[in-house]
Amino acid sequence: MTLPFDVNTLDLFSGLAGLIFTLMIFSYVIGDNFLFRIALYIFTGVSAGYIASVAWWQVLRPNLVAPLISGSALDKALLVFPLAGILMILMKVLPRLSGISRFAMAFIVGAGAAVTIAGALRGTLIPQVEGTLNSIPRMNTPADLAQNFNMLVNGVAILLGTALTLIYFHFGARTQQDGSVRRMGVIEILAWLGRFFIGVTLGVVFAGVYSAALTALIERISSMINLFGNIP
Amino acid sequence: MRVLTAIIAIAVGVLVLLGYFFPALPYVQDIQALLLNWAMLMIAAAAIVGVLNLVFVHADKIRRREKGNLYSAILIIFLFGTFLLGLILPPGHEIMRLILNGVIFPVEAALMGILTITLLYAAVRLLRRRADFTTIVFLVTAALVLFGSATLPFGENIPVFSGLATWIREVLAAGGARGILIGVSLGTLLTGLRVLFGIDRPYGGN
Repeated sequence: MTLPFDVNTLDLFSGLAGLIFTLMIFSYVIGDNFLFRIALYIFTGVSAGYIASVAWWQVLRPNLVAPLISGSALDKALLVFPLAGILMILMKVLPRLSGISRFAMAFIVGAGAAVTIAGALRGTLIPQVEGTLNSIPRMNTPADLAQNFNMLVNGVAILLGTALTLIYFHFGARTQQDGSVRRMGVIEILAWLGRFFIGVTLGVVFAGVYSAALTALIERISSMINLFGNIP
Repeated sequence: MRVLTAIIAIAVGVLVLLGYFFPALPYVQDIQALLLNWAMLMIAAAAIVGVLNLVFVHADKIRRREKGNLYSAILIIFLFGTFLLGLILPPGHEIMRLILNGVIFPVEAALMGILTITLLYAAVRLLRRRADFTTIVFLVTAALVLFGSATLPFGENIPVFSGLATWIREVLAAGGARGILIGVSLGTLLTGLRVLFGIDRPYGGN
């Protein structure tokens, strides 16, 4: 399907639409209003429609419909199972038959749990523990100590930060004589130190998010200025 | 039904896990790929059901003439418009790119831009409402890192802040972040194992 516009005209259209939507969203600065809400609802509708179409083009069409039409007999036979699962999931729309979808949901949850376990172990837990242990350099002689003193201090700080943060999330407590439930004294002190590292980490995350938001704001403003410069 | 759903979840989970941890066993990786492909197809169908649910919820709002039903009508019109166009045209087509570049990206970026004001406001409110040790550490760190990454008019970083911000990011925050990440991954691992042992059944049938 060809369009009666050239690429520059399309870019101008998308730029103008972007400008209008940007101004509608920025109107939130003066308070929640009609324009902001319309922009949000249009965004939600367009995004949901786009996601559904991407699911069709990138997953269902190439992996289900195309093999069903032009695949081998074995391919077609193997697709009976996901087809049954998809039908079960579609039953969720009908309240009376929604219980049937549990089988397909159990399949998805089982596969998802396995992927999550493997991902958490191989992608996060093992690399993070390795990284923490390797943060302290190996030193065999006093000369190594003098040479790598800064690295040693940093490594110890990282190790302490990791350990104290984990201790902060230890919620094993005992009932005291006065009836209150508290953690052990030593754990309480270490957890308080852990709060320092958690505060620092969240502060860095906040600064990162704030920088990204500021970059997005600058990008929007510069795109508006550029659009006015490109209009013939 | 309860037992059967649990058996399906556990069997699928164990077979997929075998593919990750014992790839040398015969057929294990083929079975894993097949099961993950089936799961992906079902997840895509579930995404479409989720979109349908959004339509039903807003159609119900319009039918009941609830407050804000005009917004719901706008949402449904744009959703169907985009979906029907998306069924005919592939995601790389100019019109689909126009939708992406003219609506989705600008709104996402503008919402992100609005965050600069809301985050600043939230930080001030936090200091007013709960000025304790963690809050002060949090805000001082955020300010130091922001000053450290800011550039002077001639393109240079602020001298002392720059080095301090780098040290905070690469040492202190790295330690805290590692602790949080290890905690999160332990929690994720436990949640996954609870599903595989049939203790948690989020698919229903408890």
